[in-house]
Amino acid sequence: MRRIILTFAAAVLVAVGLGGVAVATSSGSTITVPRLDRAVATSFSNVYAQEAAIEGHTGITPSSLHAKAMCDRGPNVTQSGPGATWNCLMSWTDPNVPMPPTGYGKFELNVHSNGCFTVGSPSSLIGYQTITDRRGRTVNNPAYEFDTCLDPASDNTPTGTTFPSALTITSTTVNVAADGTVGVDLACGVGAGGCQGKVAAVTDSGTALGTVDVAMTEQATAHLTFPTALPAGTKEVTFTPTTTIGFAPPKPVTLEVQG
Amino acid sequence: MSATTAPAHGTTPRARTARAGFGATLGFELRKLRAQWRTRAVLLGALLLPIPVAFAIHAQGNPPKDSLFGRYATTNGFALALLVLGYAGQWVMPLLTAIVAGDIFASEDHHGTWKTILTRSVSRGSFFGAKTVAAMGFAILVLLILSASTIVTSVLVAGHGDLIGLSGQLIPASQAWHLVAMSWLTAIPPTVAFTGLAILLGIWSRSAAVGIAAPVVIGFVLQLVGSMGSAEALRPYLPTSAYEAWHGFLASPSFHGPFLTGLIASAVWAAITLGLSWTLLRRRDITGG
Amino acid sequence: MNSAALAVDAEGVVKSFGAVRAVDGITIRVAPGEVYGVLGPNGAGKTTFLRMLFGLIRPDEGTLRVFGRSWDDDGTRVLEGVAGFVEAPRFYPYLTGRQNLVALARLDGGVRPGLIEEVLDTVDLADRADRKVDGYSYGMRQRLGVAAALLREPRLLVLDEPANGLDPAGIRDMRALVKRLADSGLTVLLSSHNMDEVEEICDNVTIMNRGAVAFHGSIADLRAMAPDPGHLLDTTDNARALEIADRHQVKTEADESGALHVVGPHDAVSGFVADVVAAQVRLKQFTPTQTPLEALFFMLTNTEAVAR
Repeated sequence: MRRIILTFAAAVLVAVGLGGVAVATSSGSTITVPRLDRAVATSFSNVYAQEAAIEGHTGITPSSLHAKAMCDRGPNVTQSGPGATWNCLMSWTDPNVPMPPTGYGKFELNVHSNGCFTVGSPSSLIGYQTITDRRGRTVNNPAYEFDTCLDPASDNTPTGTTFPSALTITSTTVNVAADGTVGVDLACGVGAGGCQGKVAAVTDSGTALGTVDVAMTEQATAHLTFPTALPAGTKEVTFTPTTTIGFAPPKPVTLEVQG
Repeated sequence: MSATTAPAHGTTPRARTARAGFGATLGFELRKLRAQWRTRAVLLGALLLPIPVAFAIHAQGNPPKDSLFGRYATTNGFALALLVLGYAGQWVMPLLTAIVAGDIFASEDHHGTWKTILTRSVSRGSFFGAKTVAAMGFAILVLLILSASTIVTSVLVAGHGDLIGLSGQLIPASQAWHLVAMSWLTAIPPTVAFTGLAILLGIWSRSAAVGIAAPVVIGFVLQLVGSMGSAEALRPYLPTSAYEAWHGFLASPSFHGPFLTGLIASAVWAAITLGLSWTLLRRRDITGG
Repeated sequence: MNSAALAVDAEGVVKSFGAVRAVDGITIRVAPGEVYGVLGPNGAGKTTFLRMLFGLIRPDEGTLRVFGRSWDDDGTRVLEGVAGFVEAPRFYPYLTGRQNLVALARLDGGVRPGLIEEVLDTVDLADRADRKVDGYSYGMRQRLGVAAALLREPRLLVLDEPANGLDPAGIRDMRALVKRLADSGLTVLLSSHNMDEVEEICDNVTIMNRGAVAFHGSIADLRAMAPDPGHLLDTTDNARALEIADRHQVKTEADESGALHVVGPHDAVSGFVADVVAAQVRLKQFTPTQTPLEALFFMLTNTEAVAR
């Protein structure tokens, strides 16, 4: 009995000791935005250059890409530590593959507690799991998905890279409410600062339905309702978002009226 | 009984003053290890088991992408060897060392032989030292055999093309050999720590079952603790974390901080466990066998 | 080593396990060349005392010196020239008898060539030395224990109930061996719960009971003190036996079944029984109600210990 008590006491002492060490040395997680920014950009540059070589595009080296990343763990959470909600917005220079209008591609990360993470690249810019090499063979695309491990002692000064959130209209048709007013769904994507601006709605016959203010955090959705009721017989409505913060779609969006 | 005479001394015999050196005591322990089938089985297992494992992984249609280097394990022998290293650090290595270290003290209790060996010319301290050295030596030997067997088999099965490292960089085969071998060698410090833990549990419990199983279970628990986000401050000091220190070697630029932290932490754990073990053994009253 | 030093010099040795005092202030002195017996029933503390001598158990109080050396001052050197075993000797079952001896010889710093064969011969295990010990009988293990002790060419042999668990032939052989070793000049310290054995072999004896010394002295003194054990006598004519008893120096008492409880000096009891038989009365039962040791213990624990 005495042995068991003594052993238990010893185990408690060890646990307390470890806890003390942890508290004393803790200064937050070592998985931080600046470290992820740099690590993702470095790894991506390396694998992208390999993909370019496989596809026969000359002149692409990791340093020629000037890749820059901005990583973000999501809204309303501390911006450090492991998690499956990390996203990185990244831009790079490749004459063969222009950046989309927003200026960046969105990469999804799954970061583990040991500081290692898997990056999933946007297929619209990078391609899929397999690509065709110069000789026509189907081979693995090294840039599609890749693993990296963070150096817990690497440079932690902020990189200063930011990308604006993209404001998009997610509705596919025009919803008409019971009182005849019109609504539209918006999404504000990953980025710095969220989305602020206005959306103007005009019918196909030129009637203005109003302009509504937009103020959203990043990675949020919103539903806007326009004050003026829809005139009868309207077939389409054109929505024009403009932003002071965030990136607005370059062209206005025209949607058909339901029913 | 024989009718021959008893030892031919006419008068009170002079005491023999020969004493066994540490080398002889260590030789004694190694002799016993050699004679046990369990020891030979582990060494043989370390040599042969990587072969079916390598073939099995290589034959999978979908590579195990959720583990590091899993995505390239079916097409690259170096990746396969590192994938196996990732798995082995989880519970295989603590088990391989505990099979001998967890039993080397408890077996004397099991056979009732403490009273046999402690009544010769060798002190408890010498036995403690010899058994510890034997257990540590065995652990390192098993690790070397497992490493060599895994690396050679993996490369034979999946090829030795260029390896994509942990910063996306392309590592030529000539360099990959060194990095893979070094990565396997970094498993030595945490294995030494687990050897100390197995020794402590074997001495404390006097049971080989506890000495062998408990370190493995504790290893699992420590890994679970390490994977909890809230315990991140503790992570670098856990003996299981040192089994992942090799990641830094495969990055570009390579980083060695976790390896050094793991090395020091493993040394501290080994010192603590062995110190406690010696205290327990020194003060024990041998009332049974 | 000073030859005037006692082989074993224990003074006031105490050992408790929890609330139990296993050894309670034992003082024993064994001179070199003596054959010394430690006698006592099971649980008397004999084995605990011997374990302390071997350094397997640490005493709580008291001093314990072997040829002038103590564990605190000299460490393992205490056991130089000392060999033996406590309780049944144990070996590694996966090694043969010979391999066990070779391994133990290594722990002694090596032995002179041929000694292993010699000791195997002495204990008559030479032909079975190459079988694994897990196949050995109890008696074979006992003999291997003696062989392992002789391997150290000791000057003090410490044996804990060496004949325990052996068959009658084995007991006889073991006692003969111990006598031969004693006659060759070895100091022997042996423990036993069998008084006949101690009487046969030992010069001096300590009797222990419940951790304490109940008697110190020579065998001759012990014999002189031995009381008469009582006997239970049942005959075909107990009344007649009772009459005959009056003519001898025996005390008789009938119990409920009519059998007689007889107490008296050994010669008187023998004479009484002889007369009963001569009177054509047949014996149905004649058994001691106590062993001589029990009778002795009973006597000794009712009197104060006589120290020498």
